[in-house]
Amino acid sequence: MILPLEVLLALVVWGTVVGVDLVSLPQMMIARPLVAGTVAGAILGDIPTGLKLGVVFELLQYDILPVGAVRYPEYGPATVAAVATAHASSGVLGLGLGALVGLVTGLIGGLTINLLRRVNSRVVHAAAAQLESGDPGALVRVHVGGLLRDALRAALVTIVGLVLAWLARPLLGNAITVRGAVLLAVAAVSTALAAGAAGTLRLVGRGPNLAWFAAGLGGGLVATLWLR
Amino acid sequence: MAAVNGALTRALLRLFAVQGSYNYERMLGVGTGVAEEPLLRDLDAAKYGPAVARGGHFFNAHPYLAGLAIGAAARAEHDGAAPDQIERLREALCGPLGSLGDRLVWAGWLPFLSGLTMAAIALGAGWIAVAAFLFIYNIGHVALRWWALKAGWTHGTRVSVALHHPVLQQAGAVLGPAMAVAVGAALPLTAAFLSGPFAPWARIALAIVAAVSFILLRLLSARLNGLRLSLAVAALALVAGVLWP
Repeated sequence: MILPLEVLLALVVWGTVVGVDLVSLPQMMIARPLVAGTVAGAILGDIPTGLKLGVVFELLQYDILPVGAVRYPEYGPATVAAVATAHASSGVLGLGLGALVGLVTGLIGGLTINLLRRVNSRVVHAAAAQLESGDPGALVRVHVGGLLRDALRAALVTIVGLVLAWLARPLLGNAITVRGAVLLAVAAVSTALAAGAAGTLRLVGRGPNLAWFAAGLGGGLVATLWLR
Repeated sequence: MAAVNGALTRALLRLFAVQGSYNYERMLGVGTGVAEEPLLRDLDAAKYGPAVARGGHFFNAHPYLAGLAIGAAARAEHDGAAPDQIERLREALCGPLGSLGDRLVWAGWLPFLSGLTMAAIALGAGWIAVAAFLFIYNIGHVALRWWALKAGWTHGTRVSVALHHPVLQQAGAVLGPAMAVAVGAALPLTAAFLSGPFAPWARIALAIVAAVSFILLRLLSARLNGLRLSLAVAALALVAGVLWP
């Protein structure tokens, strides 16, 4: 993957903004893979690839319900890295390699979120006396420090993802056969669909919404067959 | 009145970053303290410091509804409520605001619009569907944050009244089925969209792997998640891809 410097910088900035949006600021859902992937595709001049990878990771996102302090992978910057990978390799190979790079980046992103929360806990613990004094300046300093650490974390995750994207083609693209590339894409799409279905069923539960889900599924199947 | 509106606006803007210093010790606590501070500035000096300190104590709830607790706590400080009562109010609101926000937003509004957007993309709407998702989602997002802050400030210690607002009840009743229909419809459409370039044998493989993966995720939900399964299946595919000529 060889990209002009300004495109790489734009991807890093976008990945950082996306990473910060997930939890810290402003949670307007640009961190959703659908949005992160589409804009990454636009930066690369390849919106169709952005949409495709965005949908794959959006399905995986259904596996996550961010309640309380639950730990989860981070698919925003991961989708940016995935789209950059896929853009460098055409067709099905791009889809498979992009998803693989995105999955690894998502795993790393999730680990860094947990690490950041631990660091924030230490900072808050160390500043407890100042916070208890009612000094608003101390409160703002601790808070802004957390925001800046999250921005740094998101930037690093995006950079790591883009490095993986840069390595993917020479390391894997040349070793893998055409059938292998198709298998990789099949693996990514099938597990994303399974995660999307399983995650949705967890939200739906066994109550009356299950019937609504079945109705939607039936309608989607009819529409899919009708449009073939 | 203008001063109150200005303070509420500043509090709202700070609420967008309420999770900026999220941590395992006070959770959203520091962020709620930062967001509440503009509403406490006209307290007298003796009350201001302790009120700011209380605002930064442990707090956890859905971020979009945290404003309800912040507004209520700030109003209680102005009304001269006892410190213990304000602490208890904040603690009592954590659970209800968390579960209400999760039901309305994470399990309702967000997956509903996401499902519609995936279906629209599969049907060829392209980036316009994504732009519409972002716009419509954030109408609900910003409206909920603003309503929560205003309701908390209006009701103070009697803020539980706001949680029984009929619009919240109706939204909860409608969004569950709407989400189920939207995502249900999106699944086959996205499957067709993503598998479009695949050869027939690959589509059969996709159906088999998706079915087995779904069963594994349902049976082993305590130990297995989508990421782990995807990585494991991708690793198997990579090995097969290198070996299969």
